[in-house]
Amino acid sequence: MASGDMAREQVLVVPGRYKEIKRICEFIAAGAADAGFDANTIFHLELCCDEASTNIIEHAYGDEGVGDIAISYAVEDDGFTIVLRDTGQAFDPGDVPPPPAISGTAMPADELADQMRIGGLGLHFIRNLMDEVTYTADRRHGNRLVMVKKLHKDGDP
Amino acid sequence: MSVWQEKLPQSNTWLIGISGRLDQSLTPKLEETLNALLDNGHVALVVDLTHATYINSGGLRCLVSAWRKAKAGDGTLTLCGLNNRLQEIFAMVGFDKVFTILDDCATARGQARQGVRS
Repeated sequence: MASGDMAREQVLVVPGRYKEIKRICEFIAAGAADAGFDANTIFHLELCCDEASTNIIEHAYGDEGVGDIAISYAVEDDGFTIVLRDTGQAFDPGDVPPPPAISGTAMPADELADQMRIGGLGLHFIRNLMDEVTYTADRRHGNRLVMVKKLHKDGDP
Repeated sequence: MSVWQEKLPQSNTWLIGISGRLDQSLTPKLEETLNALLDNGHVALVVDLTHATYINSGGLRCLVSAWRKAKAGDGTLTLCGLNNRLQEIFAMVGFDKVFTILDDCATARGQARQGVRS
């Protein structure tokens, strides 16, 4: 990350517990509001951070209270970059197939409900609602999920 | 933030209302309420989301799970009062086709009174 961006990066570290996710949402919502996003987009960003944090607790750490979640955001000219970090097991969202029948193909509701996979729904939201999603994992730095939302200038002021 | 329930008059339908964010803090309470009704054989359910301001995948899973149990008991689970944001979330994962969703909870109440099986 360029040093010039550091001053604008905000960081929050919370214990990996479900009750802390609300703080993560509030932190991101406040930053997104400052960045000029509309209420609907702020809702989407909260949802993505909620789902990503839930996946960290469920899959990377495997349980509550195992490790911390670090979340940061930075506002750049054309986008809002969110980074979630943890030190649990690598959990590549890219390995999780999207839920079936999302495309609107007629699948019996029972089947749709049956085929839901843990994590799949949340990742589907992340993939759909964010403009860029990248995941990296290494032993030294832990897991890093980067999600970018573009600031569309033609929307709200 | 709360979950409440009421038996709709002149019907066997129970309405469960949610106020606040349907997230990790509220979903367990909703799950408990729905399961208690289902376990007692009340399988005609309406979930009023008029005052729900947020939902995540856990909230969706809770509703799908209750829907399946209701259906297994030859019942129904209808949703009503979703705001545009919630509707968008349901549609994004195809759940708008799983659930019967009524815009207006008054309609859901009326249908329950008339014994309409949605």
